[in-house]
Amino acid sequence: MAHHDENLTWYEKWSHKIEEKGFTFTVLAFVAVAIGSLIEIVPFFTSDVVDEIELVKPYNAKELAGRDVYQAEGCFYCHTQMIRPFKWETDRFYGSAYSNEYQYSKAGEYVYDHPFLWGSKRIGPDLAHEAAANKSEQWQKDHLINPQKVVQDTIMPAYPHLYNEKNTVDVRQLKANMKGLRMLGVPYSDADIAAADELAGVTKGDALVAYLQKLGRDLKK
Amino acid sequence: MEERIDFSRDNQIVRLWVLSTIVYGFAGLLYGLLVALQLVVPEMNLAPYFTFGRMRPIHTNGIIFGMIFSSIFATMYYSFPRLLKTPMWNHALSHAHFWLYQLTLVGAVISYHLGYSQSREYAELEWPLDVLVAIWWVILSINFFMTLVIRKEKHIYVAIWFFISTIVTIAMLYIVNNAFIPTGLFKSYSVYAGTTDANIQWWYGHNAVAFVLTTPILGMMYYYLPKHTKLPIFSHRISIVHFWSLIFVYIWAGPHHLLYSPVPDWAQTLGMTFSIILLAPSWGGMINGFLTLTQAKEKLRTDATLKFLLVAITFYGMSTFEGPMMSIRAVNQLSHDTDWVVGHVHSGALGWNAGMAFTALYYLVPRLWNARLHSEAWAETHFWLATVGLLLYVVTMWASGITEGLMWREIGDNGQLVNPNWITIVSQLTGLRWGRALGGLLFFSGFILMAVNLFITMSRKGEGFVETDLREGA
Ligand code: HEM
Ligand code: HEM
Repeated sequence: MAHHDENLTWYEKWSHKIEEKGFTFTVLAFVAVAIGSLIEIVPFFTSDVVDEIELVKPYNAKELAGRDVYQAEGCFYCHTQMIRPFKWETDRFYGSAYSNEYQYSKAGEYVYDHPFLWGSKRIGPDLAHEAAANKSEQWQKDHLINPQKVVQDTIMPAYPHLYNEKNTVDVRQLKANMKGLRMLGVPYSDADIAAADELAGVTKGDALVAYLQKLGRDLKK
Repeated sequence: MEERIDFSRDNQIVRLWVLSTIVYGFAGLLYGLLVALQLVVPEMNLAPYFTFGRMRPIHTNGIIFGMIFSSIFATMYYSFPRLLKTPMWNHALSHAHFWLYQLTLVGAVISYHLGYSQSREYAELEWPLDVLVAIWWVILSINFFMTLVIRKEKHIYVAIWFFISTIVTIAMLYIVNNAFIPTGLFKSYSVYAGTTDANIQWWYGHNAVAFVLTTPILGMMYYYLPKHTKLPIFSHRISIVHFWSLIFVYIWAGPHHLLYSPVPDWAQTLGMTFSIILLAPSWGGMINGFLTLTQAKEKLRTDATLKFLLVAITFYGMSTFEGPMMSIRAVNQLSHDTDWVVGHVHSGALGWNAGMAFTALYYLVPRLWNARLHSEAWAETHFWLATVGLLLYVVTMWASGITEGLMWREIGDNGQLVNPNWITIVSQLTGLRWGRALGGLLFFSGFILMAVNLFITMSRKGEGFVETDLREGA
């Protein structure tokens, strides 16, 4: 580095100065990362980046309980919930059950999703429109308990514990969850939350299936 | 110069971080191997605690936040005092950082097995553990910046630039991304929803790649490379230009994870554009490292530390070429959600990150335990096991990713999907996924060999270590 001392470029001269000033250096390093962050994030709060879709309703108590199970089991590491606007995706993921505009994923479908569960790896098929697959509750249950029995050669893990009679929805936690989400803007009424009481004794598996059958249901033709 | 300052208390904390690197490296790679096997032998999923969905985050977090972070912290606590010519400001804080970090990691492993997860990639920790992370990050920051304040060396060296940027930016990312409301001791929800949540989470996720898996690793490169070869960095001009452009550009690139999603087009286009630009500053660092290293190229043959530096820098160049390509919409159409992404991840992870961690370990252990490395030949074997394992991993995942990407999209003359049955496609990938597991096994075996080599070296503590000057004859 020393060999160019006589003819330093402007940025070397500039750098030499701040290379000796810890505070200035740190502030500039922060400014450098703050700029892009502000520009890419702030508009999400100041402008309407989401077209709301009237038809999309929040998860009811049972579906939300199921969503929590989906999160706890880490299903999203294998299943995406985001259908891209390509024929090969909409054909595969039940596009014919939807009007043209809803065949692929829209921002308005996810407004109640805290957090989003789009995933980044499709080891199993996408589930955003699972409701349109028209599988029965019994099919879903059998598949969760022993996937290989239902779908030959599948690599999905078996989740028999979800149907263990003692492994039921924690109603108290569920109500706390719904109240929390209400604070974040999900429009739950007191009655919606009280409905959680009816879930005492319902297995986590049943809740999970209710969630799966909600995915993509609201927009189906 | 170095002799006049007492580094003994700092060395003590670095030794702990070295051990921590080895322990989490072992655990993280083992979990990687197990999840790789679960994808070909589904019976290896043992519900409820040992399924793929619960073990995968232990693999990713264990390696990134366990092994790689530990190697970064080892380097920070080793290099700060030496580059700033003063011991760390406060040793109690150094220890507090270490032990609170350990508590977090152990909590992470247990809570993931139990199914407590915020379900956002690389930010899965439930909120009590997040709070713990925030506490030790503040502790690290105070200790570091105070050391900077009391430094005896006026000039701040390049490696420190990268560490400054790391410490500041991670604080910003972590706070913004972890805005949640707790609804129970082990349950919380992100305050953001849907597309906004996705945008913020991938701003964070991508910049975890930038400020955990890249900037501090470059800091490590800028420290070990000249220290070990006793050669100056090739070009200070490149250092200046690529440092500032790298951190400025990286932060914009997050939306390349969200191409063709419902996130607004302007955000996607910004993400794509900046990702392509990112090739330049990334390669600036790669070239600077590479040209420094080639000045010592005749020593590559004899020295395992240098070999791992070579692997690291090469795969840094590789993955930062591949990444911008995958950010182009037309390519991402094919690669998104496939094993190709996993291949990309691991060429960066096994080559660049683990490669640099190994460099650090081979450099630090003999110096800190004052004993000669037990066996250079074993280190050489480790190098080959790692390189072959890594290549096998990456090549099988390219093949598998492109295979599945093409099979998903194939439409016949009748206008219908050629492979409507998902399992037909999955079955096609089995052989390649076995190949990946084999690659992982080789890589893991190399790691074990290294660990034994280092433990034997440690057991000879005090026998004496003589620095070889690589500039002198081979
Ligand atoms: C023995 C070596 C390793 C093996 C066998 C292995 C295996 C795996 C497997 C099977 C997955 C899941 C892929 C999927 O979902 O389809 C994975 C994901 C991942 N691994 Fe590894 N891994 C290894 C080493 C590493 C290292 C050293 C790192 C980091 C420094 C790492 C970081 C990651 C990350 C970030 C992911 C998530 C990728 C994504 O979401 O696309 N792995 N690994
Ligand atoms: C110029 C630099 C880079 C660019 C532009 C870039 C770009 C990308 C792109 C486009 C994806 C795929 C997103 C998707 O379709 O889902 C990706 C995934 C990923 N990259 Fe890179 N990459 C770069 C360097 C690196 C490096 C050096 C690493 C270090 C290990 C890395 C780690 C990852 C990880 C962990 C993921 C997977 C995220 C997930 O889905 O979980 N990348 N990157």
